[in-house]
Amino acid sequence: MRRFAVLVLMVMTAFGLVALAEGEIKAGFIYVGPIGDYGWSFAHNEAREMLDQEFDWLETVYVESVPEGQAGTFIDQLVAQGCNVIFTTSFGFMDETIEAAARYPDVIFAHCSGFKRAPNSATYMADFYQVYYLNGIMAGALTKSGKIGYVGAFPIPEVKRHINAFTIGVREANPDAEVHVKWIYEWFNPAAAKEAAEALIAEGCDVFAFTEDSPTVVQVAAENGFVSFGHYTPMYQFAPDKVVSGQIVHWEAIYRDFLTKVHQGLYTNENLQHVDYWWLLSQGAVEVGAEPGMMINPVFKDDLKAYIIDHPTFGEISAYDLVMVRHNQMADPGVTFDPFQGPVYDRKGNLVVPEGMWPSVDTLITLEWAVEGVVGPWPGEPGE
Amino acid sequence: MKRFGPFLLERRLAPPRGVVLGVSVLAVVLALLVGAVIFAGYGVDPWHAYATIAKSTLGSRYGLMEILRRTIPLLLCGVGLVISFRAQFWNIGAEGQLLAGAVAATGVALFSGIPRPWLLPAMFGAGFLAGAIWGMIPAFLKVKLKVNDVISTLMMNYIMIYIVEWLIHGPWKGPTMRGFAYTDTFSKAGWLPLLPLSRVHWPTLVIGVAAAVLAALVLARTRLGYEVRVVGESEGAARYAGINFLRVSLAVMLLSGGLAGLAGVGEVAGIHHKLLSPTQVSMNYGYTAIIVAWLARGSPLAAIVTSLLFGLIFAAGDVIKVSLRMPFQVTGVFNGLILFFLIGVELLMYWRVKLSPKGEGWTGKAGSSGS
Repeated sequence: MRRFAVLVLMVMTAFGLVALAEGEIKAGFIYVGPIGDYGWSFAHNEAREMLDQEFDWLETVYVESVPEGQAGTFIDQLVAQGCNVIFTTSFGFMDETIEAAARYPDVIFAHCSGFKRAPNSATYMADFYQVYYLNGIMAGALTKSGKIGYVGAFPIPEVKRHINAFTIGVREANPDAEVHVKWIYEWFNPAAAKEAAEALIAEGCDVFAFTEDSPTVVQVAAENGFVSFGHYTPMYQFAPDKVVSGQIVHWEAIYRDFLTKVHQGLYTNENLQHVDYWWLLSQGAVEVGAEPGMMINPVFKDDLKAYIIDHPTFGEISAYDLVMVRHNQMADPGVTFDPFQGPVYDRKGNLVVPEGMWPSVDTLITLEWAVEGVVGPWPGEPGE
Repeated sequence: MKRFGPFLLERRLAPPRGVVLGVSVLAVVLALLVGAVIFAGYGVDPWHAYATIAKSTLGSRYGLMEILRRTIPLLLCGVGLVISFRAQFWNIGAEGQLLAGAVAATGVALFSGIPRPWLLPAMFGAGFLAGAIWGMIPAFLKVKLKVNDVISTLMMNYIMIYIVEWLIHGPWKGPTMRGFAYTDTFSKAGWLPLLPLSRVHWPTLVIGVAAAVLAALVLARTRLGYEVRVVGESEGAARYAGINFLRVSLAVMLLSGGLAGLAGVGEVAGIHHKLLSPTQVSMNYGYTAIIVAWLARGSPLAAIVTSLLFGLIFAAGDVIKVSLRMPFQVTGVFNGLILFFLIGVELLMYWRVKLSPKGEGWTGKAGSSGS
């Protein structure tokens, strides 16, 4: 009996080796939200479907709406189903991913938005701060009241970084404009987003940007005749005359690169300790646009071309041209500009990025300050 | 007695146990039948679906452990709610009391500096106390100011949710969490031990079972239990007997809230090891426990069975999501069906149905025969 068991084990192992030799990958995705949320989990799932079609050596499965504290359970079940690559797509899954990586040393893991790695567990993130900066230039040029409204999800470094980059863009086009911020403490809550947008309208804001996983702010702004910037997925369709541009993510860029390298044997379960994707415009992980391929809604092109900025570097330049120049500086492989290029002062007057310097990735992912021009409560602001 | 077509309906005051059990099983079977239609509509063979669910939950050690893990908070909250419902105190606030326990345990784990062997007992003690205080406030308001207990206990949930949000975004935000809204991770001394190869934090499970047994003893054998039962049966009789309402209400909510608080300790010390967003600390366990308690029909021991049933339903939902690849919303539909039928067949417990051709059985005699 025991001999038979050993034989079975040997056959199974051999079979496993054959499967690996052929480079078949079964990738499991664990999502924090429902795939129909029109935001974060939706975007990850779109990328998964795209790659599943693209590669014949790839099979994918997913689990949606996984609560924190239960990712480990679902990782166990995906491994039991034969997954040899697992992506966990929420910061809250970090510790459970690292624990699972220790439990399954033969499985390759990648955790989105975290900072803990292991020999068989990488990290990855597609970040929007450059995109928000370019949206900010457009917003600064288009505001009449000088007040721009921002509906924020949570006061955490990621969202703070985006509001700061947006505000830097706004002030580059319009040095006197302000960005008014309201927090809703939810990633997905259309009712709260509507309330916040209406409160910002009451404060006199006439251009809107946001971090929330629904098109609510776009719709509320458009109903009141105001323009806005889409967030996370293409939102042009929700208000074709009122969506100027926006932020679009391309998770498939990162997933394609990672899975191809696993397939080619470049990434193994032993060499991921220092693999950290921090992908931006130049790697094609994010895009500026109201829709893919539509960087600026044609409706607003003339207004942006007519808005002339007296720029310290470029002299007299239109907002439209400034967006194009800055975009090229950041989208070309050799990046020559960063929105946070110093000197950057926080709104309390402290120098946070010295003259001529660029902040490190570490600074960017932990920053808590608010730049000059941000108006409103800012929980966790240094020096409080 | 009522006539309904060819049927006669006769009111039954206390349904015998066999009827309660039989009718409950009938409800689950009906739900499974309707569920089969949904599976078939989605293109999944119902037999295959149920076989997969049974195999992955009841049929494997891993599945059984998952059921137990989900059972723990439901059992503790459920036993507490059984006690309060027996006294006709409608505690809808187990969710908030659970969170209060989680907050207190976190505070002790992170800031008390109590050394290893005493840290976990201190966390449980603080969690019980916090849940109890959060539960006793509505009791006090009800007796002294006649504030409706359903409303006040429900509203206290929201207050506690915002307290947790404030803590994790404000004073307790962990420096090691890089700005994300979590407290720091507890030191290992504040982690509950797990059953081998599982996520079952067994000390909390033991406390839950012990609480069910003790609650049954208290209700059946002690003066407090007697007073609780009298208050629950008839407020007038209780007043006449000179029972102190404030004392009974506070005692009931001390236990009810305290037990929910222990459930909160189990979640943070056994699973998360930190305080985090309230919707992640509790998967609405405090609300699901209302149904657990209600189906237990006043018996703390029965709450062990009903909480296991809901542990199974939650675990089955996970299987539907992962193994059957159905959208997560189906899990909710599936759970809802079982609840719908369990509550729907309630009628059958309190009404005896007899087939009787028209014209017969209009007298009380015919209807009561056979009882």
